[in-house]
Amino acid sequence: MERRKIGSAWNTARQQYSIFMVLAFLFVICSRANPNFLSIANISNISRQLSVTTILAFGETILIIGGMLDLSAGSVIALSGVLAVASFKGAVAASVPVWGALILSFAAGVATGVACNIVNAMMITNFKVPPFIATLAMQTMARGAALLYTKGQNLLRLGDFVVFGQGSIASVPTPIIFMVCIFIVTWYTLRHTRFGRSIYAIGGNEEAAVASGIAVGRVKYKAFLFNGILVGIAGVLFMSRVNAGLPNGAINFEFQALTAAIIGGTSFSGGIGTAAGTLAGAFIVGFLDNIMNLTGVDSYVQQIVRGAIIALAVIYDIWAKGRRRTRSSLGDIDKKGVTA
Amino acid sequence: MKTHAPKFLALFLAAVLALTLAAGGKAEAAQYRVAYIARAQADSFAAWLANAIKAEAGKYPDIELSVFDGEANDEKENGMIENAITNKFDCIIVQPNNGEAQRPYVENVVKAGIIAITTNARIDGIPGSSSVDADPYMQAKVNCDLALTQIPQNAKVVVLNGPPGNFHADERRRAWQIEFFDKRPDVEIVGEQIAHWNKDEAMTFMEDWVQSQSQIDAIVSMNDNMCAGALEVVKGNPKFDKLFAYGVDGTAEAVLLIKEGRMTATCMQSAYDLAELLLSSTDKLLTGAEKEINTDIGNPLITKDNVEDFVKILEAAGAL
Amino acid sequence: MSNEIRLRVAGITKLFPGVTALDGIDFAVRKGSVHVLCGENGAGKSTLMKIINGVYQADAGEIYVDERPVRINSPSDARRLGISMIFQELNYIPELTVAENFFLGEWPVNNFGRVDWRAIREATAELLQSEGLPYSPGSKLRDLTVSDIQMLEITKAVSKNCSVIIMDEPTSAITQREVEALFKKILALKARGVSIIYISHKLDEIFRIADEITVFRDGKAVGTRDASEFSIDAVISLMVGRKLENSYPKESVPLGEDILEADGISGEAFRNVTFRARRGEIVGFAGLMGAGRTEVARAMFGLDEISGGTVKVHGRAARITHPADSIKNGIAMLSEDRRRYGLIPMRSVRENCSLASLERMIYGGYLHSSEENSLVGRIFDRMRVKTPSLDTPIGSLSGGNQQKVLLAKWMLRDPDILILDEPTRGIDVGAKYEIYRLMTELVKDGKAIVMISSDLPELLGMCDRIYVMSQGTVTGELKRDEFSQETIMKYAIGAMDRARGHSYGAA
Repeated sequence: MERRKIGSAWNTARQQYSIFMVLAFLFVICSRANPNFLSIANISNISRQLSVTTILAFGETILIIGGMLDLSAGSVIALSGVLAVASFKGAVAASVPVWGALILSFAAGVATGVACNIVNAMMITNFKVPPFIATLAMQTMARGAALLYTKGQNLLRLGDFVVFGQGSIASVPTPIIFMVCIFIVTWYTLRHTRFGRSIYAIGGNEEAAVASGIAVGRVKYKAFLFNGILVGIAGVLFMSRVNAGLPNGAINFEFQALTAAIIGGTSFSGGIGTAAGTLAGAFIVGFLDNIMNLTGVDSYVQQIVRGAIIALAVIYDIWAKGRRRTRSSLGDIDKKGVTA
Repeated sequence: MKTHAPKFLALFLAAVLALTLAAGGKAEAAQYRVAYIARAQADSFAAWLANAIKAEAGKYPDIELSVFDGEANDEKENGMIENAITNKFDCIIVQPNNGEAQRPYVENVVKAGIIAITTNARIDGIPGSSSVDADPYMQAKVNCDLALTQIPQNAKVVVLNGPPGNFHADERRRAWQIEFFDKRPDVEIVGEQIAHWNKDEAMTFMEDWVQSQSQIDAIVSMNDNMCAGALEVVKGNPKFDKLFAYGVDGTAEAVLLIKEGRMTATCMQSAYDLAELLLSSTDKLLTGAEKEINTDIGNPLITKDNVEDFVKILEAAGAL
Repeated sequence: MSNEIRLRVAGITKLFPGVTALDGIDFAVRKGSVHVLCGENGAGKSTLMKIINGVYQADAGEIYVDERPVRINSPSDARRLGISMIFQELNYIPELTVAENFFLGEWPVNNFGRVDWRAIREATAELLQSEGLPYSPGSKLRDLTVSDIQMLEITKAVSKNCSVIIMDEPTSAITQREVEALFKKILALKARGVSIIYISHKLDEIFRIADEITVFRDGKAVGTRDASEFSIDAVISLMVGRKLENSYPKESVPLGEDILEADGISGEAFRNVTFRARRGEIVGFAGLMGAGRTEVARAMFGLDEISGGTVKVHGRAARITHPADSIKNGIAMLSEDRRRYGLIPMRSVRENCSLASLERMIYGGYLHSSEENSLVGRIFDRMRVKTPSLDTPIGSLSGGNQQKVLLAKWMLRDPDILILDEPTRGIDVGAKYEIYRLMTELVKDGKAIVMISSDLPELLGMCDRIYVMSQGTVTGELKRDEFSQETIMKYAIGAMDRARGHSYGAA
């Protein structure tokens, strides 16, 4: 009886937390493979490297849960990032105090991210453009705007702007603080707000959501608003981390973000996904890239391994969820055997 | 908001279109029409070159320059060359995305009796075409010559490569192999990765190397962008005070890093020099002063000793 | 009917998490006979059929075809053994033509590897003609009715030489006339030696066609007998394990003021419809499929546009353009198509249940989980929803329990007006009774219920007043003392026959 209880708890854990087990397994393997892996400096490195795409991944998670996606994230990072850098430099040149310039530039980055995503939402909800196409259009437009604004040249000499991406508070790097805060906000939003419940319902069955009185259009706007804030923050962090305004930076970041979300168990058919899963998905990719760099794996081999692991992680996840039936059946047969 | 949204969006898109079209539409009657087909406006050197060529063309009143963007796409670039032939430009300057892919199209330019110039990088061996370029092998070699005297015995170095298959990336790496690593078997490469010319990717690799390697004496980078990324990681870290760092391009960022003493050297691939030489060659070809020109700009090495000269050049050009 | 056994299962056991769905089932079907399975939802009938059809695999037990043991790992295995299943909720691709559907997945290919469309069309036309079906091979499935598609599926099964056809609730979505046609078909199939396993809740129908009846309860086969040895009451008491005193727990409730009034409303599929419902009243809408009843309900709830006329709720004019408007006005609706307009299949029963009343548990910017659990738990207790846990995805419950969860979702909002569109379709007797009981409770609380149903006895049993619709208009209104099946059918069919005169006149 007692054993059966433990057994079923283990099964529940495996179904729900399979992706975290993959992560833990990978963590153990990596620690074994290279002694440098487990250093605080290295773990902090990984987290810092992951922070930008993970922040994007939280936005993508919410959109995918709602049956949408954002292909424009990488380009909008470039646009909001260079505009943030430009407004910082402009403010400093106009002898605004540094803290004021920082706030102004951060606001400019976020505002740009939000503006682009409101246009995304408008195309999708008001004009019924499929999200794939709408955000693809925005991808091209935002990239063009970033290049146009900078004439294709990198913005340099960022001065104190680098605190966003390179600074730290109580020896925790700022990008990690942003990532953790955004994780908590995303988790809370999905778990504890009306908006969270609504977005799951919309992605799960939009017509049923409408019939339950949910204002679907408004919820979709909110999802893109959320995504826009995240993309804007990511833009500021990215430019600050690389200490340059790169109009052609962050290309394909949306795909890294989508990868993290999908590995983390977000379902492209909508209605399923969690913030914690996405975080785990991002770290699975991060651990892998890191251990391969630490152990000096050839670049080309790295690409093959990365692809294979993505496939394997998802296959394992599906397999672990599928096993729940057979597993619990065995449990019940045991019980019968005892009573009979 | 809901009811105004459609109007707002339509207006926004229309405004974007109108602005873009207005910016592109100007008509002048010049003697010679020249097409410059850039590899990709999104590539920062290519964009710099395009800007420089536009500025330089302004000095030639009889030349009217149109710039096209190949968007790093062979098919697009080839299509643009064909269009330029059809539109009967007097001279077509091609900055190839991939030399071999554009070769037959440049041959068609020559066949159509139009002056063809290839640049950055040149396409060799097309009779009747001209070329103006910087030699990527030489750009790396001038760095190698310096590194031979600087990098200590049994040093550990990390190497950052550009995209595989890219002519400049491959030639620069080849030069480092022949002109440095083959001559210095004592030096060990402890990390080598492809960072696709990108600053952020180079940062990630360098961060991991700093973790895994107890000693790194030098960064060998195929361009300045990646070199700057790697240096960003070790900024302010006293362990890397004596780190040597070599790049290519002479970007504003690299020049500043050399001035600060954080970067060792780079080879200037000056878009201004290239643009100047391109336009003067174009002029000579158009006026019939010469039939075929194949020339290179110089490969000046920038180090702490001469960096001030380059700071002045960049400042004069408004890049700093 | 012969005594030869075509299909036999022995000791079939199937376990789902927390539930023993089937517990050592023994069961046999004779050649050329109709074997009816009945039992409440969740009793295990559908699970057994899915095992026989290869959708699920049994955890224990054997299957024999013609007394030879077989393994059925997929529906295509079943097809090879001559077993075919007509599902309750037909899944079909609306854009396919009849011919394409017939050969779906096994399109004949000519020598060049091209699909031979001409052969497909000709073969289909021949088949349709020999089965006496009046459609052209080129018509699209979306232009056909549920019953037409069912006939096509049966024909398809027969054409592939299936000797066992499983029909899961085949009459749940078709009209009386179509039921007659189906039964005729079943008799013809029997005569050809085809065995039919027929799952149904409609006890009156069952006795018209059954040769044998097996009753399921809680995953066990609790009795198999020849139909002649069974009575309706005996079947019911076996099904529920107790005697049902009265299948319609109707109580007379004092009627209050008009709470819902529609005055001459028109929409896409109906025009000039006037009706009203009073507090404490159950108002029925009768009519044939396609009469416009569902469309009226949808428009009243804000799912479709009302193009003319006025709606008053609580005596005040109401503008309803979105379900959010009607919900705010205290209207709730249970749709006939619960998969499309009701379920969020992958989400938990808890989330599905809370969806329309989120403000009751999410306030102050925070979800009060314990409040949600107690609200949902209480309503589930009241409605006797059977679910392994509140975290179970609603998609994995039986149809009856899904329906109860969806009804619970609206109960949680405590609406004044409840529109129920086919609330008991595809639900077993026990669950039906509970829904009727709940309806009675609700009207006693002073609520008004508008019920659309194709089950006439149910309308007669539960309603205070019935509107009959035909061709998009209300053709009759009957008070309780005027109720009779004949009158209702007269109102319902009158217009219908005029309009479709020739297509049915020939048959």
